[in-house]
Amino acid sequence: MNYAACPQYEAALEDQLQGTLRGAEAASLAEHLETCKGCRAALEDAALSARLLAIAEPAPDPGAGFSRIVMARIRQQVQSNEGKSIWRPVVSVAWRFAATAAFALVMLVSFDLGRQSQSRSDQSIVAENRVPEIAPDRPSLPANRDEVILMMADTSHGKQ
Amino acid sequence: MAATASALSLPVSRREKGEEERQLVQLAQSGEEAAFEELIRRHQQRVFGLVSGILRRREDVEDVVQQVFLKVFVSLKRFDQRAAFSTWLYKISVNECWDYLRKKKVRPLVYEADLSEEQVSRLDGVVSADQPPASSSDRAEARDLLERMMEKLPEQDRELLVLKEVEGFSVQELAEILDLNVNTVKVRLFRARARLMDVYKRRLHSKPAGSAGPAEGKEG
Repeated sequence: MNYAACPQYEAALEDQLQGTLRGAEAASLAEHLETCKGCRAALEDAALSARLLAIAEPAPDPGAGFSRIVMARIRQQVQSNEGKSIWRPVVSVAWRFAATAAFALVMLVSFDLGRQSQSRSDQSIVAENRVPEIAPDRPSLPANRDEVILMMADTSHGKQ
Repeated sequence: MAATASALSLPVSRREKGEEERQLVQLAQSGEEAAFEELIRRHQQRVFGLVSGILRRREDVEDVVQQVFLKVFVSLKRFDQRAAFSTWLYKISVNECWDYLRKKKVRPLVYEADLSEEQVSRLDGVVSADQPPASSSDRAEARDLLERMMEKLPEQDRELLVLKEVEGFSVQELAEILDLNVNTVKVRLFRARARLMDVYKRRLHSKPAGSAGPAEGKEG
């Protein structure tokens, strides 16, 4: 069976179930219940749910030793925190130093790698764009006396 | 230590309980371990109930409860006593449970097999009898059947019903712990009951296999 309690009476119905509804509110709900089948059925069901839930048992008592266990854990935690707190500033500075050094190392390595690759690429560009007219081949050495005379004649030709 | 002893020896009438707890909290805040241990002793049962109400049958309940008290100890100096210590403690417990569930990505327990007709009618007998079963084996079976039905409910419904009806938290306490309006807690509780009964009736009046999930409620 499905029912629907009137939404405006739900809180009062819960109070009624708990036995805490008093005065004008109690009178108003009583009057409403006389005419509202849905709310009556809902209240009956709610009472049945309380009986159903009475079967359940509350959580067992953790026992007298529990507080001692908790206190032991707290002391252990406090001690470990104190131990940590002595070294914490040193560890923190060491970590910062290590992080800065690592960062600097990475920067240096990447800068060096960048420079090497830049110079390699410059060389390859120069090699690719070499123009014979601009950078002619070195002249070969004279092979004999006649060639020497010819060279000397060549170089002194423009000076006169 | 003498201060702790005097705080512990205070009369424990309801009226003075709050003041006594304030003193214990102050002593614990000043580093008195015995005072903190006393606070654990006073609240461990309810924190256990709260945590197991949310985590259900998890084996880690004890570990989570220990973690709760560890967190409370660490942040106790920041607690200004504007709220009750218990409310603050329970809020930390709830947050710890949700953290646990989130970290572990724990899914609700799901029973592969549904209830048999015989089991359902036995459970109906228990509810109709208006008193718990006499033998411990019957009680255990009834609890197991109820547990299976509860697993069919949305997690929020289950939490509320268990914390209210099983672990004994009041509506006011639940509102404070869960950061909800008191009326919202009442409405959610009432709807959770309705959904539980819906699951129950579906199993009572229809064949167990192929049953659908709980009915969706309207919530304002």
